[in-house]
Amino acid sequence: MNASLFELKDVTFRYETDHPVLESVSFSILPGERIALTGINGSGKTTLLELMVGLNKPQRGTVTAFGRTRIEEEDFYEVRLRTGLLFQDPDDQLFSSTVAEDVAFGPFNLGWPRKRIMAAVRAILARLGLEGFEHRITHHLSYGERRLVCMATILVMEPEVLLLDEPTEGLDEHHREMLVALLKASPCAMLIASHDKALLDAVTNRSLRLENGRV
Amino acid sequence: MHISEGILSPPVLIGGAVLSAAAVVQGLRELDDEDIPRAAVLTAAFFVASLIHVPVGFSSAHLILNGLLGIILGWAAFPAILVALLLQAVIFNFGGLTVLGVNTFILAVPAVLCRMLFVPVLRRSHTRTAFALVGALAGGLAVTLSGLLGAAAIAASGRGFRPVAGALLAVHLPVIITEALITAGIVSFLSRVKPGMLVRKKK
Amino acid sequence: MAHADPRLRVVTGFVLAMLLAVSQRFDTLLAGLALAAILYVAAELPTEPMRRRLVHLNIFMALLLPFLALHATPSEGAWLPALALSREGAMAALRIVIKGNAIVLVVSALISTMDTPTLGHTLAHLRVPDKLVHLFLFTVRYVEVLHMEYLRVMRGIRARGFRPRANRHTYRTISSLAGMLLVRSFDRSERVLAAMKCRGFRGKFFLLDYFHAARGDFVFGLVALAFAVTLAWMEWI
Repeated sequence: MNASLFELKDVTFRYETDHPVLESVSFSILPGERIALTGINGSGKTTLLELMVGLNKPQRGTVTAFGRTRIEEEDFYEVRLRTGLLFQDPDDQLFSSTVAEDVAFGPFNLGWPRKRIMAAVRAILARLGLEGFEHRITHHLSYGERRLVCMATILVMEPEVLLLDEPTEGLDEHHREMLVALLKASPCAMLIASHDKALLDAVTNRSLRLENGRV
Repeated sequence: MHISEGILSPPVLIGGAVLSAAAVVQGLRELDDEDIPRAAVLTAAFFVASLIHVPVGFSSAHLILNGLLGIILGWAAFPAILVALLLQAVIFNFGGLTVLGVNTFILAVPAVLCRMLFVPVLRRSHTRTAFALVGALAGGLAVTLSGLLGAAAIAASGRGFRPVAGALLAVHLPVIITEALITAGIVSFLSRVKPGMLVRKKK
Repeated sequence: MAHADPRLRVVTGFVLAMLLAVSQRFDTLLAGLALAAILYVAAELPTEPMRRRLVHLNIFMALLLPFLALHATPSEGAWLPALALSREGAMAALRIVIKGNAIVLVVSALISTMDTPTLGHTLAHLRVPDKLVHLFLFTVRYVEVLHMEYLRVMRGIRARGFRPRANRHTYRTISSLAGMLLVRSFDRSERVLAAMKCRGFRGKFFLLDYFHAARGDFVFGLVALAFAVTLAWMEWI
């Protein structure tokens, strides 16, 4: 019985330029798995993560998520609500005036009632050491604080799978430790692209390396 | 409210061009050389923002935001809108060159008007609701005025055009509503994140 | 023709477009349309964007013109009194259709084929005020940057399951998105200005491009002049 959360088969992807970014990539993510995704800069880690939630469409191969093959934009809608993708650049993710608004955005899309949303926002901010940040202006926060807020925006949606692109980059020691502890305690399956060896050693139990495909 | 090529009569085209030219000169006078990067980046931002589609009813409208541009730039909105329209005409082949003067006039006059009417009010506003309300008024008014000016230009171009003026305005109603709502949201956003953009200290 | 001096193309395009815009006689307009078609073919433009633009234009006209052709009260020479469709109105409508299409073709063939920085430099050489030219060039430079930024943030929004609908949530989201674009643009512009000052900027801009008129350009200019004079003559003499 196939209980995989994500399954990629023979996925090939290239941008307009000829050079293929991903070549015949195949792997799956089972519940409870925490996979480290390594590879040099430009090896396609970000592209792969974005492809898994349908932000890029592969020229060849299939993406199966939560038991169904996903091809059209409409297919990925459900995937995005159950998968938390953390972007590498927080400015690509944050767009609201206050922290609370940005964190509440996902739950709004999920259709939760207002009260549940407000409670969830408060709870996740507390867990990330951001108590009292609800009314802070995201634009004025430091880089590290914005990264953590981004983390909050996806964790609050209670996803089944986390796709994280350099989650600890720019974080000071204190926040970094908090994040590592949080990830260790999390029930989510994860695919983490990172250069932070300590993070990967502490949290992940499998490894994938991207080099023109996979090794 | 872009009017395409070929519809307007020569007097309207020339009149619009002359008036806009004069206003552009005035706008350039208010723009120091040092202000040009800011005005240009804001013009680019408005250009990109006008590509955003907002669902309304069963279809969608695209944003214009000339009211907001006027509030932020004042008379400099004239050269800014001229540049944006020129770019639209050349990059997207949308709009037109012979009608550049008239279209600039149609969009920029309400913009400057919004600056004159609403910035004093914004200076005295303190609550989020107040800002949102001013934004809604500015957005709705700007687009309504643009619609009226456009209809007037068409009506002035020929006897048979008059019934079209009314029809144009009716068709624009959803656009007016979305502009009001979105401008309200943006002004509210700016009042929290960067109020200095809305109300600058006089030089 | 793509190699003709840009200044010449801009001036020609503008003059021809204006001539067409003020013309009323059918023979002038039809000649203009024929000329426009020739220019268009000579310019070898990509068909798809042109097709879209013409469709756009003609739809706009199709919506507008019935109002023109139909008068409230039928005049003497009404064809179908019942529908108040008059000869005068139909002629006016036809005139506009020919005029509009001709102008679009001329402008596209001569001016739209230019890349925008070249257009900016051309305008400067045509004595357009400096500040306006620099505003234009700067804006061109940053439209691409901001467009990319918009696309990136939009992806982030879609990644959290957003679907645009006609509801308050959508309006709020779009407002925030637009607001954020403006705020970041504003900050970026301050950084740009600061960087310029670090390299000694004190308010004066410089342009690098300059144009040379070549022999082929004189020929082109003469031919264009001949066309313009012909059209004007047809219209007013």
